[in-house]
Parts: sequence; C-alpha cells; structure tokens
Amino acid sequence: MDSFLHYLSMPYLLAGIGVTLQATALGFFGGFLLGTLLAGMALSRNRAVAGAARAYSVIFRGTPLVLQLVFVFTALPHAGIVLGPVLAAGVALAANEATFFAEILRSSVRGVDRGQTDAARALGLRPRRVLRHIVGPQAGRAAIPAIGGEAVSTMKNSALASIIAVPELTLRSNQLASATFDYFSIFFASGVLYLLLTGAITGVQLVVERALDLDRLGRRRSAQPAPPGAEPAAVPPAATPPPPPPVRVRPNRVALTVAGAHKSFGDHEVLRGVDLELREGEVVALLGPSGSGKSTLLRLINHLETLDAGSISFDGLRVGYSDGGRPLPERLVAQQRVAAGVGMVFQHFNLFAHLSAARNVAAAPRWVHGEPKARASAEADRLLAKVGLAARAHALPRQLSGGQQQRVGIARALAGRPKVLLLDEPTSALDPELVREVLEVIRSLAVDEGLTMLIATHQLRFAREVADRVVFMADGVVLEQGPAAQVLDSPQNPVAARFLRALHTMEV
Amino acid sequence: MRTRQFGPVPTAAATTAAAILAALAVLLTGCGSSSGAAAPASTAPYAALAASPGCAQLRTEHPDLVGKKLTNAINPHTPGYESISVTDPTRYEGFDIDLGEAIGGCLGFTVGYLPVSFETLLPTLQSGQANFVISDIYATRERAASADFLTYSKVFDGVLVAKGNPKHLTGIDDSLCGTTTALNKGFVEVPLVAAQSAKCTAEGHPAAQSSLFDNNSDCVQAILSGRADSYINDVNTVNRFVKDQPDKLDRATAVTLPYSIGIAVPKGDTAVRAAFTGALTQVQQSGLQATLSKKWQLDESAIESPSLVTAS
Repeated sequence: MDSFLHYLSMPYLLAGIGVTLQATALGFFGGFLLGTLLAGMALSRNRAVAGAARAYSVIFRGTPLVLQLVFVFTALPHAGIVLGPVLAAGVALAANEATFFAEILRSSVRGVDRGQTDAARALGLRPRRVLRHIVGPQAGRAAIPAIGGEAVSTMKNSALASIIAVPELTLRSNQLASATFDYFSIFFASGVLYLLLTGAITGVQLVVERALDLDRLGRRRSAQPAPPGAEPAAVPPAATPPPPPPVRVRPNRVALTVAGAHKSFGDHEVLRGVDLELREGEVVALLGPSGSGKSTLLRLINHLETLDAGSISFDGLRVGYSDGGRPLPERLVAQQRVAAGVGMVFQHFNLFAHLSAARNVAAAPRWVHGEPKARASAEADRLLAKVGLAARAHALPRQLSGGQQQRVGIARALAGRPKVLLLDEPTSALDPELVREVLEVIRSLAVDEGLTMLIATHQLRFAREVADRVVFMADGVVLEQGPAAQVLDSPQNPVAARFLRALHTMEV
Repeated sequence: MRTRQFGPVPTAAATTAAAILAALAVLLTGCGSSSGAAAPASTAPYAALAASPGCAQLRTEHPDLVGKKLTNAINPHTPGYESISVTDPTRYEGFDIDLGEAIGGCLGFTVGYLPVSFETLLPTLQSGQANFVISDIYATRERAASADFLTYSKVFDGVLVAKGNPKHLTGIDDSLCGTTTALNKGFVEVPLVAAQSAKCTAEGHPAAQSSLFDNNSDCVQAILSGRADSYINDVNTVNRFVKDQPDKLDRATAVTLPYSIGIAVPKGDTAVRAAFTGALTQVQQSGLQATLSKKWQLDESAIESPSLVTAS
C-alpha cells in the first residue's frame, strides 16, 4: 500500500500525465477537425469527394493503431517528414480518431429531422445558416455522448504511443516497473491515474450535456416572467364571434402562376400537368384525396422540390432558376424565396426543436432579414400575441400542444413577411379539439390581413368560409376549380362530387 | 430534387469541452515539462578519455560530430544495461548508457535518448529519428540488413526459471520440450526456441512453446505467475533478476550463443561507423569498458574488440 501511494504521487509518473494529455488533446482535437472535414466530404453529393472520404475511412479504421503509430514515427521520415514522438503520436491518433468522429457527426447530422431543414429553407435561410442555426446545434447535442466516448477512447489509445518513445504515463510505468521490479504497485497506481483522467473527461461530458439540456433550458426560460401584454388565452382573440363570410372585391393582379407542372418520384407520376393561378389577396383551398399531389404541388411552388416539366412563377420570378432558365444553387434559391415572398406552413409543424417558440418565430427576422436581436424578438412577441401564444413564448416545441405548435408555425411563416402563404394541410395532424384554434388563426389572416393563401385542406366548412376559390385535385391533375360555393355545392366532376360528399358526411 | 444535405459544424458544446480539455492540458503539461528523453549524464567522468590523443585525433578526423547532440534509441527495460534510474527516474543508467556517453565524450557529442519498444529500435534508427542504438542488441546477420553493427561483447545467455528449477531445464535443448518459454518480441532467442520446438515434435515429444512479451519485466512476471517455465536472455540480466528475487527465481544454466552484442549505426554510413569504431577502441584500450562492466556487475562479460557485422 505504501509503495502504491508512493507511485501515485511520484512526480515522474505525474509528469507522464502531462504528456498523456498532450497526446490525447492532439488526437482528440485533430481528430475532431479532420473528422468534421471527412463527415462533410462523406455527405457531399460529389461522388469523387464522398469516395475519397470513404477510402480514407477504410484505410484508417481498418488498420491497427499500433501500425499507424509506427508508420508515422518511423516511415514518414523516409519521405522527409520527421515528427517528434509526441507530435507523431498526435498525428497518428488524430488520423485514426477522425474516422470515428466522421461517423458520429455524419449520423448526428442525418438524425436531424428533415422537416426542420425544409422549414428553414422555406423561410429563406441560406444553406450556411441552416447548418449553423438549425442542423449544427441539434446534431452537436446528439453527438455529445459519443464524442465524450471518443475522448476517453483517445486517452486510452494514447497508451499505445509508449512504443514510439512518447514519455507518457504507460511508458513511464513500464520503464519504472523494469527498473524497480515493483510491477503491481506501479501498474495499480498507473491504472488509478488513468481512471482519474478518464473520470474527469466523463465529468466534462456530463457538465456539457447538462448545460445544453433542452428541457432544463426550457424550464429556466419558462420561469421568467411573461412579457408585458401576454395573455393567458389559449384561443386567439379572433375566435369570437364567428366572422361573416368574407366579402371581397375580386383582385386582378396575378401573384402566382403554375403552368403544366409535372413531377415524378421514380416511376410514380405525382403531378401530371397542373395549371393554377393565384391572384393577390386571393385565398384558394386545394382539395383532393390523399396522394392526389397537393403537398407535392406546394413543395414545388417554393422549390423544396424541383419541377420535371412546366413552370411556376411569382409575378414573373421563377424560384430555383436564373432568368435564362438554368437551375441555381441553393444559396441563390434562398434569396429568390425571400424576393418572391413565399412562406410555408407544414402539416407536421416542423418547428425547430431546439429553439423556443419565440426564437422559432424570430428565425426569419434574424437570419433572413438580418434584423438586430431586440427587434427580431419584439417582432416575434408581436406575432405570438397575434396567434394567442404570448404566454408560451419561452416554451420549447415539445412542451406545446399540437395546436399551439401549429400556431407557432404560422407565426414563424408570417415573420418571413410572405406575400403568398402556402399551407400544407395545417390541421391534418391535429386532434379534433385543437383544429378550431388553428383554423381561427388562418381565418383571421384571410379576413384581417388579406394575405394571399393557397391552403391544402380537408376542412370543407373552413374552405367554404374562408376560400374565394376551391381547386379540386385527384391523381396529379386539377379536375375542377371555381368559386368556393359553386365547387363545394354543385361539383360537376363525378370524382369530385363523390369525394366531397364523403367528406361532408364525415364533417356533419 | 434530393433534399440538400449539410456537413456538421463544431457546436457550442464541443467548443466548451475543447476549452476545458485544452486548459487542463496546458495546466498539466506546465507541471510536467521534463520529457521522458532523460537528460544525458555529465560527460565529465570521461574527461580523461576525451583528452587522450586517440580521441583528440578522432575529433579532428570527424569534426562534424563535435558539439552535436546525437540520439541513442534504447529499450530501457534491462537493468544493468539500460533502465531508468530508480533514484531519479528522469535519467537513464546502465552499462550501455555509460558506453554511449563515453563514446560521445571521446568524439565530442552529447547523447539524448529515445525509449522505444525492442522491435522498433532498428526502424527508429533507419528513419533517422535516432543516430545510433546501444541497447544490449545482438548483432545478427538478419538484423544487419537494417543497420551496421560494431560488436563490443560476446553473448552468454542464461535460462531464468522458478526457484529450484522444477522442470529441470538444461538449456536450449530437449529439456525445453513440453515447456513454455517467455521471450521478448524480436529477440534472437525466439527462432532458437522455435527450432528446438521443431526438433521436439520431430522426435515425438511435445512442442517447446514460446510466449512473446514486450519487455523483460513482463517475461519475468510470466514466470512468477506460472504462465511460463523459463525465460532466456543475456546471462547478466538473468543474474540480476535472480539477485533481486532469490526466493522465487533461479538461473538454470548458461548457454553460449554464437553472437556478439553490438552498437547499431546507420547502414552504409562509413564515416560514422569509422568514428564509432575508433572511439570504441579507445574505450576498450583505456580499460574503461572493463571498469564499466564491473560498475554494472556484468560479471560474465567478455569484451570483444570491435568487429563489423554487416548484411553483405
């Protein structure tokens, strides 16, 4: 026991900890940087780039670290690259760890809900911003436990560097054991020192996890007093009394033109030549059975999907294409979405899961329009109040009901200052008792704001009350369109008639 | 359109972790700035040697070595030849360490150390990470493919066994059949035991097994824990282990091997080879090698005047 304690506090071994930490830090941070690069390459659409990343992984993940250490230390000098022992160990560890970091990061990025990236793109965020504000933070959070594991693993692997003269803890323990014959006391002491080090890494990991825990952040924010003017009401003010059917002067300026839109996914032809026109201030309800192509049409309109044939333009602007008709990179498409003023509300809300309601709404003002934080935040508060959610400004999406989430989704789309708002079955994912609160918000947008809207929906009563026109789609084509009352009450097309009758029966 | 995919970015979390780890690293390396490459011992004890006309002549002939710091790659797990000092673990000590520094004193260079595994000694020399190797390494023809050797001592091996030699071992002979020998990876005894094993099985006896380890102390642990019956290495090394644990270990016998211990220098570097040969001759003629053997209790050392072992 005495000699164990002697070795535990022996300056010679303690100094080895410093070298172990150096080698570990080089391997960990070097590996992280290289791994980030590799993950980016692996996710690239360029096959050569992705293939290079894959080849690197095959080599460095598939060969023993011991060989890599000896290679860097004794073979690279033949090529004129002479690295000292610690640096050589750091390089070999980093080269090896990079492959594991790359896989961790790649799977974390893939794990981020694609709907959220769609929502960010629909708001007009450029790719870099989507990465920085939406994908990065969530992928990073998801990766922390695995990254902590890699840090521990790198530290333990650094012991292998003892064979290339890195004077770290294991090398010193070995040498000491050889010189003193005091084998067990020394290796017990060395083991305890490693445990302290790896324990410290685990501690750091847990602290970081706790600091970034969303529920904890959410609770802390919720504990703050509600902003002035916050109302406890869960139902928006526009709810009572039910407004009369909208009376409008027929608008004449065309806001959106869809001509001959075709789209297939593989062999499946989803849209088979759709024509549609939306005038400023007009509210059009898009009806039709599931699979009729309503969602695809909406996603084509703001270029979340690309057209196979046909054209879509906002007052002459074709989102996704240059004036000459050539496809544009996503960065420029993002700018076009903003210029066209097209916003979108999603069936499954697609709120940014790591951001509070207020920050979801502030996304477009801050990251698209570049407004200062305070102004973006004030704008978010105003819009949340408008949808009756001022009191839940600091709640995370997961802490909100479906109806509340969709109202946040609407406020978020409005914050992008859309001229045309696309709503993709905004109430389909909601429990029946939550549908009304969302429909009331949309109704107020139509009536009070005169916003141009294209709404895919199954709510006939709502369509009748809010829509100027109804477009009925089935099997990728428009079967019938016209004034709401006319299409809903006396559809000419037999398929439309049958579908509407079925829906009507369900609603009554 | 395929949905666009994005590469990852370092997160706030990772950055925080990075900062903490980096701070920790800086903190601890600050305390442990002494590297494992131990400081060379003062060359003062070899002042007389250095002042000799022979060494003065050598320095004139090889001026490019004077004032340099050369690196000696060692596998410091053989007390008596090379190990860290128990009293000051930041220093290396032993016969080979002294010999290298005596040669350095004669030729006017100081010595730094690179402690590597035994099988990495010659690759380290070949890579240029080290300038020479004095680490109780036997100068065999096979090894001479990787480096040139200057011999300085004949080889006698001892067979280390558990107290009382329970398996009645008598050397690298039929007594090894059916036993396990602990050996260092890359040591010359490995093929000798393998050859004996083939002989055993040819004669209808059980094979002579080998267990390979990284260093002497692991081999000795194999005997102490009953995993191996013997360990064969330089006789002085074996004697030292017996002296350290006389109640648990014994030396069975001594074996003469047709080898010499040598200094490895870069292959084909005739200038360095000539300089080291000259200096080694000076060390031997001055009686210093005998003095050093005595100092390190290498009782069964047989000084051999330098001869060159090369692959050709």
